[in-house]
Parts: sequence; C-alpha cells; structure tokens
Amino acid sequence: MLKLRTLLREWGKNLNLIIKHPYFGFVVFGALLLVVLLLRMGGLVQIGVVNAVVLTMIYSIIALGFSLLLGFGGLASLGTAGLVGLGTFVMGYFSGILNWPLLPTLALAFGIAIVVGLIVGFISLRIEGMYLAIITLGLAEILRAFFISYDKFTGGFSGRSFRNFTIFNQPVSTEAVYVTITVVFVLAMIATINIIKSPTGRALLAMKNSDSAAQSLGISLMKYRLLAFIISTVFAVLGGILYIMYIKFSYAPQWNLAFSLEILAAVIVGGAQSIFGIILGVFLIYGLNLAVLNNIPFFVQNPALIVIFNGALIVLVVMFYPGGLIRLIQTSHFKLKLFLQKLKHRMKVRRYGEDD
Amino acid sequence: MGDVNLAVKEIFAIVGGIILVYFLVDLLVFRKQLKRPLYRSRLINVLLVLGIGSVIYVTLKTFTWQLIVQIFLLNTVDLCILMLATTGVVLIFKTSVTTNFAQGMMATFGAFFAATVVIRLSGVAGMSLSTRLFLGLLAGVLISFLLGLFIDVAIIRRGRYVTSVGKQMITMGLVMVLMGLIPVLFGTNPITLPAFSYDVELITIGENFLVIPTQNLYAIAITFAVLALLFAALRFTKWGLGVRATASSEIVASMMGVNTRVITAMSWAIAGGLGAIAAFFFASSGTQVQVASMVPVQVNAFMAAVLGSFASFGGSLIGAFLITLFSSVAPFFNDTWQNVIVYAIILLLVLAKPLGLFGKKTAKKV
Repeated sequence: MLKLRTLLREWGKNLNLIIKHPYFGFVVFGALLLVVLLLRMGGLVQIGVVNAVVLTMIYSIIALGFSLLLGFGGLASLGTAGLVGLGTFVMGYFSGILNWPLLPTLALAFGIAIVVGLIVGFISLRIEGMYLAIITLGLAEILRAFFISYDKFTGGFSGRSFRNFTIFNQPVSTEAVYVTITVVFVLAMIATINIIKSPTGRALLAMKNSDSAAQSLGISLMKYRLLAFIISTVFAVLGGILYIMYIKFSYAPQWNLAFSLEILAAVIVGGAQSIFGIILGVFLIYGLNLAVLNNIPFFVQNPALIVIFNGALIVLVVMFYPGGLIRLIQTSHFKLKLFLQKLKHRMKVRRYGEDD
Repeated sequence: MGDVNLAVKEIFAIVGGIILVYFLVDLLVFRKQLKRPLYRSRLINVLLVLGIGSVIYVTLKTFTWQLIVQIFLLNTVDLCILMLATTGVVLIFKTSVTTNFAQGMMATFGAFFAATVVIRLSGVAGMSLSTRLFLGLLAGVLISFLLGLFIDVAIIRRGRYVTSVGKQMITMGLVMVLMGLIPVLFGTNPITLPAFSYDVELITIGENFLVIPTQNLYAIAITFAVLALLFAALRFTKWGLGVRATASSEIVASMMGVNTRVITAMSWAIAGGLGAIAAFFFASSGTQVQVASMVPVQVNAFMAAVLGSFASFGGSLIGAFLITLFSSVAPFFNDTWQNVIVYAIILLLVLAKPLGLFGKKTAKKV
C-alpha cells in the first residue's frame, strides 16, 4: 500500500514536470488542431473552418519568424510578402513544373532564403528604424516587380497553380498536407521558444533595448542581426512553401505591401513577445472572418462590414492594449483575484460593519 | 539617339567602379586613420557627386537633352502628385513620429467625394467644366482635411503613449476601415473624373519645340501655390514654429507652452488635404478614382521621403523629384524592369547615405 502511494507520488511529480515543460502546450495545441481535421473528416465542421485553421497555422509560422525580428530584435521589416511569394514560386516552379524531388527544392528554397537574409542583414547594419522598414518595403517591391515581369517562372498575371505534388512518387492528399502543416507548425513553435530562451534570444533582446549597451557587453551586432534576419527569412519562405502546398495557387500581385502589413498587424495585435499571443493575433486577422464572421448572416449580407470590423478591431486593440491582446488574458486572473478580494471585503463589511 | 546597350554597359561600369574605389580606398587608406568615419563620409559624398554626374553625362549623350526634358514635361503631373503625397507623409512623420499608411486612403476618400460633387454639379446649368472641377477639388480637400482632423482627435491623440510601430498599426487599421467604408458611401464602381483640359501647350526653346499638356500646367500651378503657402506657413507663422519644435521633441515642446495637440491635429488635417489634391490629379489625368489607386503613389512617397530624408521638407521634395526623373527615364533603358531599376537605384543611394541624401545625423544618448 505504502509502495503504491510513493509510486503515485512519483508519477504525479513526473506528470507535473511534463505539464510544466514548455513544449507541452505546443504539442497539446497541435493535437487539438488535428482533432479539427478528424471532425472535418466526420463531416462535423465546415470547410471554411478548416481553411481558417490552416491559414492561421501557415501565417503563424511566418509571424513567428517576424516576431524574432520585431519583438526581440526591434528591427521592423516590411519585406515579408516578397519572401513568402518567393517561397511559393520556388516550390511552384521547381517542384510543380520541373518536377524536381522534394529535398533539392527545399534546399534551393532555403538557400535562397539564407542569401536574401544575409543581404537584408547587411543592409540593416547600416540603416535603422523606420528607414529600414521602408527600405525592406523597397526590396519587397523589387521582388514583386520581378514576379510580375518574369512570367516564365511565376506565371505573371495568370498566376502559378500547383497541382501534381508527389512525395516518393505517391500523390499527396489534402489530409496529409494538413498533418504536415500541423507538424511543421508545432516544430516551428518549439524552435522559436528554443531560440528565445537561448543566448541568441537574450542577445537579440539586449540589442533591441540598446545597440551600444549590447555591443559594450560583447554582443556582436553583425552576427546576431544577420542571424535574426536569416531565421526570419527562412520562416517566411517555409510559410510560402506550405501555402502553395495547401492553397495550390500563387498570384504575383498578391504579395504586396498589404500582406506584409497584415503580418505586422497580427504580431502587434496579439502581443509581439508571446508565442500564443502571435497565434491569437494571426487568428484575429486572418482566421476570424473565414471561421466565424462568414457564418453570421448579418456579416454575410454586408461583406464591407467585415473589413471595417477587422480594421476597427486592430485600432482598438492597439489603442487600449499596447502590449497585445495576450496581455488581457495574462492579466485577467490577477484582476479576477483582486475582484474576489474586494468581494470578500465587502461581505465582511456587510456582516461585521465598517472598520474604524 | 545613341546605342542603349552601350549606355547600360557604361552605367554598370561606372557604378561598379565607384563601389570598387570606395572599398579599396576605405580598406587600404582609411583603415588605420583615427578619423575614419569622417573621411569615409566625405569620400562617399565625393564619389556620389562624381557618379551621378557621369551617369547624367552618359544618359544625355545617349538620348539628347530635348528627349529627356520632353519626357519629364509629360510626367510633371506625376511629380506634383508625388510632391504633395511626400509632403503629407513627412508632415505627419515630424509631428507624430510615425509613417502614415492611411495617407493614400485618406486621399482616396477625398477624391471620391470630389468626384461625386463634380457629377452632382453637372446638372447645374451655366457652369463650366473647370468651375465644377475646382468646386469638386475644394470639397474633396475640405472633406479630407476634416477626416485628418477627426482621425487625430479621435484616435491618434488618445494613443499618445503607443510606440511608433503601434501607431503604424493604428494607421493600418484605419486603412482597412476606410477601405470598407468607401464602397458603402460612394458605391462599388470606380468613378471617372474629367481632366481640366485635354489640350497641349507648345513651348519653343531656341529651335526646339516641346509640348506640355495643359492639365499638367493646372497641376503645377495648384501644387506650387499650395506648397508655397505651406512652406511660408512653416517658416513664418507660430504654427510652423510649433511644428518644428514638436518635431525635435514633443515633450519639451509641450513643456515650453507649445500646444502640441493643436499642432498635431492641424498636421494631420493638412496632410489629408494635400493627399486629396494628389489623389484628385492622379484620378483626373488618365485613370479613375478607385479604392486602391493611391497605393503605388504612397509607396513612392515613402521612398522619396527615405531618399531625401524624413527630417527635412526640402530634402524629401528633392527625393520626389529624383524618383520622378528616374521613373521617367528608366523605361528607355529597359521596358520590362523599370520598377526594379528605380528601386535598385534608390536602394544603392540610401545604402550610401543611410539618413537620406540631405539628412543630418542626430546624436543619441545611450
């Protein structure tokens, strides 16, 4: 009997360790997302919800890379759209048209991402702040002009569709793509938290607060800025690859300033320094109208109101919760505690009368 | 007209040579000097002047000056649009320390209102087209002015403690709100706005004949009048002094008794009005009033402000001038890649001068 009790206690300790582990939340979240797929296969969920979940996952991967730049490195970049577009077109052309196998295509895509990241990183050593944001916007515009003009590679204004995707000569089903995206998403979250908690993340935070102070503590500005940009571009290109795998279509003019701004808005609205905050923000910006608003008859009748609603939401959140919506959730239990204390105090006052 | 391919090769050689000279001199000569940054910035200035001079020489040699001046005259309306948009962006950057992504949408709102007024007035008898257009323009400017005022008073002022990236996000949310609001208020179809005049004027310089569309003359007259008025106000009035004080530090300015609220609100309102004029001319010279029509202009305005310098109005206007010049000459070198060429040139110039061609470095306390 005593033995069993100690065994149980040991288990409880282990369980506690597992629950407190930072990966636990991510894995559970991924498993919940897989449940959505099962529900869809059972016919319980509409296709709009599944699309919303997948887009939220893909854009969250991009936003996670972006948050390393903005939330931790303090480097604002508006070039995200160009890189995501690059990912979609590399995958669409080399894998879809030239029928390259998967691994060389991925290697090529990540190679290009690393080169672009290095270029932007070197630019960021010389240009800072708002100027860097505008210059990366210029780079994205260069990429977009390239996509539109070079129609052999991107399909130009007719777009590049992506149909026959095979792995090891086996055609891949939509469900398998969903599972792949979920797995990559969980891995991306794990990678992000590892980077944040590692010396790299601390160095980025130090650089955000003050370049000069970080340098005087021995942090190499060049190394960490280049690293931040490379990680961010790799995440963006990865997002592009997953996008064309699921949506199966990419259109050059789509990768414009508005897309970069929406990713930026998602990171700011959710909370730039929290992983679940970023996912929440991405869901609010991209998933909400697909999953929820399109099912409300009032909004279906007035589609213009969806855009207004989204815009007003961004404005209100940034005005009243500058730390992001996740702050609201994180601080809510403190507020609840305070409220309960106040309630208790009031009960006491009613029962025993006012304190002198 | 000379050989274009040769000119492209020559320009590449010039740019490559200048970059090579910079790195060689910096590595071999300046490396051990104590005043390396100072010498380096001087070297960059000298090389920039040399490079721009020789590129201009090659361009003029290839395509005679008459052709370039003629193309530039045809594009003067673009120059006016870009100057107005850039001034609006810089004005807001100075007082609110943020880049206003809603600038284009505020402008489009005004242009839609102007176009609606012009169409409504067409029923009135005995009113000429240009009078109607002037009245429409005035109405559009007024509505954009009020919109800018409202945005500052209702939103930006309440978010004073939001970071500058946060303010960018607020303007981005405003873009979405306005984008949804415009079809509700003005209908979903684009509106056609007639030009002031479809004639052309003939200019004779010596023995050369150049033409300029009369519409461009209207645009130039209105733009220069408005900008001259604005710059006079910035230079000589109390409001202008306040803008300059707020630009250097909002907190200190408010402690010195400057009413920063009024200054910021007026800046937003004036930026809205300037944008409305720009959108009006953009729509009436060739295109229609559409929801997304001002987005490329806005991107170019940001580029012009970065190229010239966000810190000075004059610099950013010169940036706008250069961008118009580049984009009117670039199609001669290559038809397909003209946008890429323009942005690449801007990128190179900004890499050489990170704070813009006319920016000054401000010391920062650690």
